Amino acid sequence: MIRFATGRLLGGAITIFSVYTLTFLMVIAIPGNPFQQSQHSLPAEVEQALRARYNMDNNWLYFWDFLGDAVTLDFGPSFTYNDWTCNQIIADALPVSMLIGFLAIILAVLIGVPIGVYGAVKRGSWVDSASLGVILLGISIPPFVTGSILLLLFGVTMKVLPIGGWGTVAHLPLPALTLSLPFAAYIARLMRVGMLDDLQNDFIRTAIAKGVSSHLVIWKHAFKVAFLPVLSFLGPACAQAMTGSFVVEKVFGVPGLGQHFVNAALNRDAGLVLSTVLAFSTLLVLFNIAIDLLYTKLDPRISGAAG
Amino acid sequence: MARNVAITCFLLLGATVALFRLGTGETRADFTYVNPSGIHTLDPARMSWTQDLRVALNLWEGLTSSDPKTTEPMAGAALFPPDISNDGRTYTFSIREDSIWSNSDPVTAVDFIRGWRRGMEPGTATDYQFMFTDHIVGAQEYVQWRHNGVTLLTILSHLKNGEDIDEKQATDLGKLPEFHRLAKLWMPEGAAGSIENNDVPNPAELIQKIRKAKVDWEQVHQSFFQRHVEQLDARFSEVGFEAIDHNTLRVTLTQPCPYFLDLTAFPTWLPCHKSIERLREQYAKSPLTEQGLVVFDPQWTKPGYHRNDYPGLITNGAYSLIEWKFKQRARLRVNPYYRAASEIPCKTIDMLVIDNISASIMAYEAGYVDFLPSLAVPYDHEIARLAATGLRNDFKSCHTLATYFLQFNCASERILGKPNPFLDRRVRKAFAMAVNKQAIVENVLQRGDRIAHSFVPAGLIKGYESPAGLRFDPIRARTLLAEAGYADARDLGVVEMLYVPSDDKIIQAIAHMWEKNLGVQVNLRCEESKSFAEDKANHRFMIARANWYADYYDPTTFLDCLVTGNGNNDAGYHNLTYDLRVAEAALAKEQVERMALLSQAESILVEEDLPIIPILHYAELIAIKPYIDGLQPNPRLRFSFQYVSVQK
Repeated sequence: MIRFATGRLLGGAITIFSVYTLTFLMVIAIPGNPFQQSQHSLPAEVEQALRARYNMDNNWLYFWDFLGDAVTLDFGPSFTYNDWTCNQIIADALPVSMLIGFLAIILAVLIGVPIGVYGAVKRGSWVDSASLGVILLGISIPPFVTGSILLLLFGVTMKVLPIGGWGTVAHLPLPALTLSLPFAAYIARLMRVGMLDDLQNDFIRTAIAKGVSSHLVIWKHAFKVAFLPVLSFLGPACAQAMTGSFVVEKVFGVPGLGQHFVNAALNRDAGLVLSTVLAFSTLLVLFNIAIDLLYTKLDPRISGAAG
Repeated sequence: MARNVAITCFLLLGATVALFRLGTGETRADFTYVNPSGIHTLDPARMSWTQDLRVALNLWEGLTSSDPKTTEPMAGAALFPPDISNDGRTYTFSIREDSIWSNSDPVTAVDFIRGWRRGMEPGTATDYQFMFTDHIVGAQEYVQWRHNGVTLLTILSHLKNGEDIDEKQATDLGKLPEFHRLAKLWMPEGAAGSIENNDVPNPAELIQKIRKAKVDWEQVHQSFFQRHVEQLDARFSEVGFEAIDHNTLRVTLTQPCPYFLDLTAFPTWLPCHKSIERLREQYAKSPLTEQGLVVFDPQWTKPGYHRNDYPGLITNGAYSLIEWKFKQRARLRVNPYYRAASEIPCKTIDMLVIDNISASIMAYEAGYVDFLPSLAVPYDHEIARLAATGLRNDFKSCHTLATYFLQFNCASERILGKPNPFLDRRVRKAFAMAVNKQAIVENVLQRGDRIAHSFVPAGLIKGYESPAGLRFDPIRARTLLAEAGYADARDLGVVEMLYVPSDDKIIQAIAHMWEKNLGVQVNLRCEESKSFAEDKANHRFMIARANWYADYYDPTTFLDCLVTGNGNNDAGYHNLTYDLRVAEAALAKEQVERMALLSQAESILVEEDLPIIPILHYAELIAIKPYIDGLQPNPRLRFSFQYVSVQK
């Protein structure tokens, strides 16, 4: 187990370093000047002074300096937002993204599971068709459309939830719900297929023959097995929801890390791009390791194979 | 099992929400507005975005300030008007007794000079440094001296750390007189070549020589550094800024500048409180860094920043900043020491960041926001229609002091492997006359922009008569093209137009007009804005889109851009007569004569040479709730919140 964990951690470190190197190469290769910020052309001497100040006059030195500092969790200044360090930006934004992502996954389970179960139980009926329809909509409508519709409905028409701003519980439901829908749809699909398979199993038939109530058969016997694929989906989904909420952040003005990452790339803000990439990739790697470790607990065959 | 899953989910949900910092329950500010992209920087010397300038001018106050209606200069921290010498070159400002910082310190002449000196420092990297170097006696020389010093010290600090220098650095080094003087000490024959003959040493050779030289770079750095620091204040005293006493300030210009009092209201000219000195980065107890830069901890603009006993941001304007959350919100509160602070109706101002303008419109419609300074959405024509027809009186259109135009590459002999047809002004003129600007403004964009026939927006600058420009005339355009030897427009080959994604509609319309009216084949090249900016600055285009926003109220803010060698002359345009007219205007004694000369210069641009095709002057759509009073739409989109009141 320990060997397995250290192996995965080492692999994770290599992955993060590779991601950093690739990102760095892209940052210096793409055209565009991070220091050019307004309509005025940048005088050569001003640019030179800025490069000196940000340690950017030598790419190779910058590569190692940044990495060295990053290991000690010092990500340096943002090139575009001079008044802020990347540390401050990430410290403010990452928890927000994680919160929204986490809430979205919980909501996705609460929405997706019942839809999938009822669809499978009432197979072929209108309930099934409706659940399939909902799944299809959830997967195919992009979040910026659902987000805008929800804003219009709850913010402008009903005026029950605020638009813009951040900091109260009332700001949470809409972005979390919007972000959760595609995940909910996917979970519903997994759940439906799992249940359909499961309901044809011998032990279910036996249970029914023994006279167990259909409620108990569905929610206790069949559910237990059918839920496993959903559980294994939740790990990567969590990581994905926490790091990939850019669109939702944009629509609702949620101050998460996704928008800073995209803006930093557009601004060619090397410091902020590298630090957000490092933050995101570390998060993803850690999540995957955690899930792998969990699996070994659930299924001893994996740790046996690995070690 | 299922129940367990559900219970776990609800528990997690509850716990997360509970852990989330509950809203502070803070009351809404008296006035709330949206700044879509947030504040880029609050450092007045570094800022250049309209939305940043807007916040700065509510936090600080310059020697002059802007009239909220006309944006003309009026009294600021100094009495108005200042004492101006007969030759128009010396301005003496008296700072008002009741001009006080938000921590109750009086505003002094030294505070202003501190801010200006910072703005001229290479380490500050001020976008608007030209506002000092173009006008102030000795400023250009000081900036150049400092820049040379920094270049040398930066390279020396690399060398003393045992690092190699690259070709670019070697090239820079070879151009420095200071380096050649220094090199004589360790290279008896000098650093190869001599600067006087403009014979700059070969960078590769120089790198080799430096590598071989047996020099203690630590010591070279040390001695040069010391000398530079010793000269620092003496050099600066040659710049035309003088604090005569506590509240008298004398500024000496190189030549008269009729719009100087407009400049002094601009953020680059704001004062800086002495507390910033607590955050100065030091090297060996000197006021400079190892590279010779003057650098302050960039976090000095934060209200809650207290490193090294820094008191947090102190400002001298109507408001002070009490909270600033990155890309979330900024809150301003009346500066209690500001004169007539008690008479300012809105005591607190909230600036919300809502990146998505459609969402900010929803917030406005739902009543969370009182003012939207930008309505740039894909359906803005619909908003313009509601504003124009009076269906929505709260949507307003501001004619701005800004021009959208196309520019030709007038510099490169060859583009895309072919001779550049746009070196011939007849070709440029033909292209200009084949654009139906009216159709663009009225049919394509429908935003209520003004058609532009001149570069300087007509009628907005007092005393300036814009030339008439050229009108849409496809027949004359084809004749001109034939005169230039392109009777068959296909001989021009494919003409390429470079633009950014937001221009899609307008550029396609223009390409279609050229294809239809001239018979040329147009290729469109769309680039993301940073790549675009780089290609444009390096003349890697045939025709490129461009825009220019006035920095101050004078035609030169536009016309200077096309003077030979100007850093913003991306067209690479060069016409001696034009340069001469602009230069003569700068020397003109009378304002009437000056404006006439500038108008003559502009007519060369828009009637004869056409290095650019002015297309339109932007109309900026804004939304102000009907119950808001005192917020005046103006061409510069400057809004002073101290005059705003809520009439609910």
